[in-house]
Amino acid sequence: MEFEFTAVRPQESPNDVDEVRKLLAASQLEFDSPVQVLVLCRVRGRMVACAGLDHNVIKCVAVAQDFRGESLSLRLGSEIVALAAQRREFHLFLYSPPHNRELFRGWGFYPLVEVPDLVILMENSPIAIQRYCDSLRLRRKPGDRIGCCVLNANPFTLGHRYLVERAASECDWLHVFVVKEDASTFSYDDRFALVAAGVKNISNLTLHQGSDYIISRATFPGYFLKDKLVIDHSWAGIDLLLFREHIAPSLGITDRYVGTEPLDTVTSNYNVDMRYWLHDATSCAPAVTVVELPRASIDGIPISASTVRRLLAEGDFIAIQKLVPTSTLKFLQIKDAATPLAAGGANRT
Amino acid sequence: MKITKEAIAGTLESSDLLVKVAPNQKGTLEVVIRSEVIKQFGKQIRRVIDDTLRKLEVSEGSVVVEDKGALDYAIRARVQAAVLRGAGSEELDWRQL
Repeated sequence: MEFEFTAVRPQESPNDVDEVRKLLAASQLEFDSPVQVLVLCRVRGRMVACAGLDHNVIKCVAVAQDFRGESLSLRLGSEIVALAAQRREFHLFLYSPPHNRELFRGWGFYPLVEVPDLVILMENSPIAIQRYCDSLRLRRKPGDRIGCCVLNANPFTLGHRYLVERAASECDWLHVFVVKEDASTFSYDDRFALVAAGVKNISNLTLHQGSDYIISRATFPGYFLKDKLVIDHSWAGIDLLLFREHIAPSLGITDRYVGTEPLDTVTSNYNVDMRYWLHDATSCAPAVTVVELPRASIDGIPISASTVRRLLAEGDFIAIQKLVPTSTLKFLQIKDAATPLAAGGANRT
Repeated sequence: MKITKEAIAGTLESSDLLVKVAPNQKGTLEVVIRSEVIKQFGKQIRRVIDDTLRKLEVSEGSVVVEDKGALDYAIRARVQAAVLRGAGSEELDWRQL
């Protein structure tokens, strides 16, 4: 049987995308955008298998019913892994219904975390998560109460400062992670540097680089979809269970700190989900207490990074000055002088 | 030879193998082998892979192998290809291999 494989970009091939949708629908799956590139397999013109790639995440995988049980799935897997490699993506993730776990084991993917009966996140390495947790374990600190917060800090504000300061004062040690994904107004390097400057004088704190395992495109795709305000409740479970089952035990984290979110729907829902997945849900790992601190306000208005970005677009540095530490202010002024930023109001904080 | 960038070689199909190489921050050589026939042929597969890496003088890097029951010469060829890609090296003393 002659299998013909092609790679297409969805936006350039609407007809192919329609066929992909039908193929996915036959497996009770939906087209899950964004997809940067699709691998399609045809037999005598008929589409019989497809797989999509968004950066380092494989999605939209389906094989026509009458072509299953052949070797087609493994060829499809090889094609998509090779295509990812051409695009310099080597550490790959994929989501699958749990019953397809064995199929993707054949692709060299290993389960990371599962929302029971619903979805499983897998990665293409049998060792990567252990290696990552080993590196975290080296930075473990003693204490009864070990806190953690994860910041996107886009950019770092006095609100973040307040959260970190309060959390550090309540805990024996605080671990701070900066979201690594470069999908925000400010680059990861800039955001990391601003957090580092902003927390410098807090002595019981470790600042960690972000990773693919903590609020990344792989673990939490919805976080970076700027238009989609409602994230499927269950999918947030993936990121949070990964935190609870791998990251928290490695560092001995007992408490996760978040600010209340009066302004941002995605993050607000995420905080509700956080309580459920880190604490209430059944899991092989011990529960992590979620501590939600009221967001710091200036003149009765909650401080948020999105407000800072809006003010920056308006060039209102007098208002910004009240919301950010000096280090962030200086950075914004230099940045503003160099290139006028088109600050996206819908970006996550 | 040192693995300086990520690279792959091979496929996931039956009788083949996929070899993934990457730099290793620890500065050591780490080899992880997963095979569908590890119980029958695990020792032999490891011997072929270690031997190939030694002949290529790979001293540093991470090598992950997903084997689908490949024969020795396929294993050797895939490991060589992945290492050469990952080391960004064009030059090779083929007589050594």
